[in-house]
Amino acid sequence: MADFVALEEQDGLRLSWNIWPNSRIEATKAVIPFASLYTPNKRKADLQVCPYDPVLCKTCGAVLNGYAQVDFNAALWGCPFCHTRNHFPSQYRGISEQQQPAELYQEYNTIEYIQQQAKPVMPPAYVFVVDTSVAEDELRACVASLSQALTTLPEYAQVGLVTFGTHVHVHELGFAECAKSYVFQGSREYTPQQVVEQLGLASKMPARKGGPGQPALPMPSSPGSRFILPISECEFTVNAVLDELQRDVFPTLSEHRPSRCTGTALQVAASLMGAALQPGMCAARLMLFVGGPSTEGAGKVVEKELSEPIRSHEDLAKDRAPHYKKARRFFDGVASQLVQQQHSLDVFACALDQVGLAEMKPVVDMSGGMVVQTDTFLNPVFKESFKRVFVAPGDPGSLNIASNATFEVIPSRGVKIAGLLGPAAAMDKKSSSIADTHVGIGGTNQWRLAGLDASTTLCTFYEITPQSKEAAGQDPHTSQQFYIQFITRYLHADGSHRIRATTFTRRWTDGSNLGELMAGFDQEAAAVVVARLATFKMETEEDFDATRWIDRTLIRLASRFGDYRPNDPASFTLNENMAFYPQFMFNLRRSQFVQVFGNSPDETANCRLSLNKETAQEATVMIQPSLFSYRAAGACAQVLLDVTSIAPDRILLLDSYFYVVVFHGSSIAQWRKDGFHLNPDHAHFKELLEAPKRDASSILQRRFPVPRLVDCDQNGSQARFLLARLNPSSTYQSQQSMSAEVIMTDDVSLSVFTEHLTKLATQS
Amino acid sequence: QQDPMQSPAYYPRPTGEEAAAARAPLPPAHPGNCDARFMRPTVNAVPNQQAMRARFQLPTGLIVHPMADPQDLPVIGLDAGGIVRCRRCRTYINPFVTWTDSGRRFQCNVCGMFTDVPMDYFCALDQNGQRHDIAQHPELTQGSVEYLAPQEYMVRPPMPPRFFFVIDVSTQAVQSGSLPVVCQAIKDSLDSLPGSSRTQIGFLTFDSSLHFYNLKSSLSQPQMLVVAEIEEPFLPLPDDLVVNLHESRAVVEALLDSLPQMFASNMVVESAMGPALQAAFLAMQDFGGKMLLFQSAVPSLGLGKIKNRDNAALWGTDSEHKLRNPDDPFYKKFAAECSRVQIAVDVFVLGAASGQGMPAVYMDLASLATLPKYTCGQLYSLPAFSAKRDGPKLAHDVRHNLSRPTAWEAVMRIRCSKGLRISSFHGHFFIRSSDLLALPQVDPDKAFAVQIQHDESVVTGPVAYVQCALLYTSSNGERRIRRAISHLTQVHTMAMPVVTEVQDLFRAVDGGATLTLLAKLAMEKACTSKLDDTRNAIQTKLVLALREYRLLHAAASRGTTLPHNKLIFPPTLRYLPVWILGLLKTPALRGSMRDVATDERAAFCFDISSAGVDQLLTWVYPSLYPVHDPSGDWGKPDAQGRITRPLPSPMTMEAVDSSGAYLLDSGRIFVLWLGANGLTLKLLTLQVFEVDASRGQPDGFSLQVEPPRQSDLSRRICALLNDLRAHRSNYAGCFVVRQGTQPEAHVLPWFVEDRTQISQSYQEFAAMLQKSVMAKS
Ligand SMILES: [Zn+2]
Ligand SMILES: [Zn+2]
Repeated sequence: MADFVALEEQDGLRLSWNIWPNSRIEATKAVIPFASLYTPNKRKADLQVCPYDPVLCKTCGAVLNGYAQVDFNAALWGCPFCHTRNHFPSQYRGISEQQQPAELYQEYNTIEYIQQQAKPVMPPAYVFVVDTSVAEDELRACVASLSQALTTLPEYAQVGLVTFGTHVHVHELGFAECAKSYVFQGSREYTPQQVVEQLGLASKMPARKGGPGQPALPMPSSPGSRFILPISECEFTVNAVLDELQRDVFPTLSEHRPSRCTGTALQVAASLMGAALQPGMCAARLMLFVGGPSTEGAGKVVEKELSEPIRSHEDLAKDRAPHYKKARRFFDGVASQLVQQQHSLDVFACALDQVGLAEMKPVVDMSGGMVVQTDTFLNPVFKESFKRVFVAPGDPGSLNIASNATFEVIPSRGVKIAGLLGPAAAMDKKSSSIADTHVGIGGTNQWRLAGLDASTTLCTFYEITPQSKEAAGQDPHTSQQFYIQFITRYLHADGSHRIRATTFTRRWTDGSNLGELMAGFDQEAAAVVVARLATFKMETEEDFDATRWIDRTLIRLASRFGDYRPNDPASFTLNENMAFYPQFMFNLRRSQFVQVFGNSPDETANCRLSLNKETAQEATVMIQPSLFSYRAAGACAQVLLDVTSIAPDRILLLDSYFYVVVFHGSSIAQWRKDGFHLNPDHAHFKELLEAPKRDASSILQRRFPVPRLVDCDQNGSQARFLLARLNPSSTYQSQQSMSAEVIMTDDVSLSVFTEHLTKLATQS
Repeated sequence: QQDPMQSPAYYPRPTGEEAAAARAPLPPAHPGNCDARFMRPTVNAVPNQQAMRARFQLPTGLIVHPMADPQDLPVIGLDAGGIVRCRRCRTYINPFVTWTDSGRRFQCNVCGMFTDVPMDYFCALDQNGQRHDIAQHPELTQGSVEYLAPQEYMVRPPMPPRFFFVIDVSTQAVQSGSLPVVCQAIKDSLDSLPGSSRTQIGFLTFDSSLHFYNLKSSLSQPQMLVVAEIEEPFLPLPDDLVVNLHESRAVVEALLDSLPQMFASNMVVESAMGPALQAAFLAMQDFGGKMLLFQSAVPSLGLGKIKNRDNAALWGTDSEHKLRNPDDPFYKKFAAECSRVQIAVDVFVLGAASGQGMPAVYMDLASLATLPKYTCGQLYSLPAFSAKRDGPKLAHDVRHNLSRPTAWEAVMRIRCSKGLRISSFHGHFFIRSSDLLALPQVDPDKAFAVQIQHDESVVTGPVAYVQCALLYTSSNGERRIRRAISHLTQVHTMAMPVVTEVQDLFRAVDGGATLTLLAKLAMEKACTSKLDDTRNAIQTKLVLALREYRLLHAAASRGTTLPHNKLIFPPTLRYLPVWILGLLKTPALRGSMRDVATDERAAFCFDISSAGVDQLLTWVYPSLYPVHDPSGDWGKPDAQGRITRPLPSPMTMEAVDSSGAYLLDSGRIFVLWLGANGLTLKLLTLQVFEVDASRGQPDGFSLQVEPPRQSDLSRRICALLNDLRAHRSNYAGCFVVRQGTQPEAHVLPWFVEDRTQISQSYQEFAAMLQKSVMAKS
């Protein structure tokens, strides 16, 4: 298993299976899909960056790589994907066996090129879309964070400001005489064309003139520069507007929610960006700051009357959410618009209520945006996460945000592309390597990512097609190996257009050779792939029963790959490469991804967005939290995610990705209450208390969005955050007084689950 | 004694020594009557029969001018026993009621009904049947009084005065320079807006979109809110678009200071006037008030957009009148809605020239005028606006408009004695019910006219009465009422003898008032008829009246044959022919399509419809003051501090001395006319303009009469100008024209006695009248 993690470190790549069966029939019997998890913008200290353009295969467009068959004398290279023999370009004339360019070395399977003749770019643009239908202190907190961000951004960064409540206000930051905004009715739906016309962006404005004696500015300013412009040119205006930003002034009736037209605001802001910023010319993010449910216009989540509750999962399941489908359709439209424009939507939802994230989800997902969800703009989760967004690339804590990306997958023969799950949108690109059946976003081998950061991870699904005998005969090389290349073209934060290519190869095997297949099984990656697929199906397939689907998949897997005598559960064993997989599934079944009813649709949406975007390692933590134990004398140790791990003299640190829990055993809590840690004689106790905190804060610092930190004691009310994720090996039903803690749940424990699994898997 | 109609030199003219008396009303028929400033009858008598009234030929009625001089009215407080009215016809108690039952009841002079005197109002009578306390009750002795109205007169609490400015900021407004003038004038007026600390104010600017302004007092600067949805305008804020001026003064001033700069480079040529009006309506509809529209571009977007329908082909056809009526139903509908919610609309039309030195673009004033017409607003037209030339006038008109005493949310009703009724109303208002005029605001510059008809064939009794009541909300700040904004009722009562002979009517007819009523009737006829027919109709009325009078005169002089070629008219109507001639020569009525622009005609027509007698008489027969003769006291203050005016000369070039200088007062502009005689010209140029004319003749446009220079002559001319202006609502600039130069062509139409290509001279007109009178009917 360690091998897989090492591979991930090197190329940002994990595969559910690392050895593939060479027939379609055998492939279907493998149960777990053949898929890769690839992090195209992974930060790599040792990344090879070439200051030149890549050499592409003239037939399939693949980038020259270490698997190419090079004939130095003829200055030809054979493409491992399509077998075309390509001439090296003239500037490669000097290469030889001894002098090879970097891309021909297999150590540089992942390599990055800086495009030489790329369009000039504009500075990054941030359009802040701010909810004013919130309490005064919320608005001030939000504004304070925005003002803070403006001071950290480089002054060439472009900003725009849209505020909304009952209506939408687009602020003209380039207007110096007074605060000026264009107002759009919250209750109306606008076409992008209408927005553009109303903002006066439809006709070309005269280019900005230079001052007397100065030449005209080299960069012709677009008409949108009245609204989105460099901080250096609008700093005073934007700060003045923020300082005097009022709460929405339309009165809210009693027993009513405030009027809030989040959907209209997004639509207007997206259209503004579409008109003001040329697609592909800059990194542009639409940042939504929302403090409550949308109650006005398209995208409305709930009526204003408080007597109508905001939709729950039960409502959605029973088709009792009157606005949901309409809102989803509306936001699908906004999503395609943003994808078209190559702009991302980030949502900062700071409210006790749901804001309608479930409805907005496709916009964030397809545009590669971020979500930070918390209760108030005063919460450090918001404040710290928001700050992180603006940390310059290269600086500690930077998210390494890139933009305007396309992601292309090129497979060699025998492999076809079934689809992709991840924060991306399909592009209308056809290729012979596209599978007939789709998984996730299929029908193409190229996807668009308006935004991506260092952790953005794309899950690609493959279909194994029978190899043609001719091909196998021609080239013994490809009869044993298959190749896949990922080409990511993107706009780097430094303004350069880059191309990152990752090329890898794996071995075919005879499908009936289960041992070989199992040797290549990456159970973590597989769990993440299955989790992404399960949530995707939950959202897209009517009446999809995720628990049942997970169970059946697991039973089929166990029954195919387990070692057992039929109808003898006791004889059942699993290869070590698969041994932990059932436990992942056990935890996935109990997780918020599958057990949605304990959460709001907004929380579910947020969790799923993270699952669909994060790296294999992080996603594994989401599925199965890590639990660490700190005991007085000993160091930190990972322990079973089980209720039995609780002990009075232990501190537990649970990392469930979305929150981090520091849980003090009852004795520890008592000692701390007694102030032992203040006594110099008990320095070791002080150290014990601090160690998990330190570790927790290091998790907080590295993760985005910043997780919620729960500091609790055994028997405290906050302890539920830990207990909910532990295996209930000891429940009020099991009556095992051995355990320190009893979990009040009807859930089955892992051992019961495993028992059922082996029973069913071994049935003949 | 020369026979007036013998030679043109002796024709009657409202000039010279006769000038003042010619315009003055007749002495009141009864000492208790209201002053003629408020209500001026066309005949100081009432015919007892309909048939007799018909023989008189001229229309009979009243010119009503309720706010003419409100400062002069005695105010009756709430503690004076309340407002006492007839229980049947609701006539207000007045000097003409009679007391019975020892003062416990009074008999209504209008309908004859007896009404019990309320307890608080009771007072015993003296031996003459008059109340002992009559001296304490001005309503029992004076024809005009004003009451503070009690609670039950109020539909809603008095609204604070509210001003909402709707300003076109399209590129036309910027280029003509009107925007800075408007902003500065509004700013200069902020201290004089009525309402003191309760005044409310709001702004909307527009081009192709609408710009609202958040003027909340806590803001450091105004916030501009652009709404581009002109198909369906909406308010971007629920309040703070109209704010208390006192509280938001700093923000309002900041806005007015920065507006010209904000739009200085505006390139938008489109103008969404209709949507701007709709939006302003939304902002004002809850409280009413005054909407002031400043329109520079041709309205081109949204409702009410103007089509170029100034079609010469319609002239002379049955469709000719369409040019003088609104085309789009939006205007009347919108105006009616405004009236309903107590909004008055004032429209300043500041259209651009259609090119350098070209006439003004067609703005369709016939349509735009509809807005003030039904809301008792005012139409200002400054065609081909240029800030350099017209800025001072615009600024003055804005300041005057904003600072004049104003009555708000007014309704006016006129009652008359049994047997009589008001048959028509003329002026700018909306008729709410059959006889109730809705006036969202009314001020001293608005006069109305009514015609009185016989309801029954015979009117009994020796005296007939008319009473006009205006119920309104005052702006406070008027020094005589030390109360917050309140409801007031103004009551004017008039008694007129009932006469039985047509001669009595001719004896009591008021020429000035008659001309005024005739003019207003003509303006209405022009909206349904050809202009030619309208002119003929006025002449015909005059001819028929003169024929009737000639018959009476012949009968009276029994046997003495009247000279066949001699025009006979009653002394009371001696100026009516020349006034009518002048009326026919005003831009409202003269010529055809090519002689007067349709817009200019519409603007003049609008003004005539709301003009009072004095104003109208100046328009139809301007004053020509000789200002070259240094003898006499003209231009200097008399013992009371009033500026003495020179005696005006006849409005004919024949009477003008080419070695003289004249100040022509047309009622709308002043012209200093300089005779062509070289010596005079040189002297005047030096004295009045301090320009040395020996270096060549400067043209008239470059010469400025004001400010006063060192010379005595200059100071006297300026003093005269200022005095004339002081009695005007519209500001008139003073232009200089030299005899024999091209600009003189603009001046000649004011010489109403002279013949032009399209009109008769006084002599020709008199001859034509005589011929018509003698013609067999
Ligand atoms: Zn190839
Ligand atoms: Zn009565």
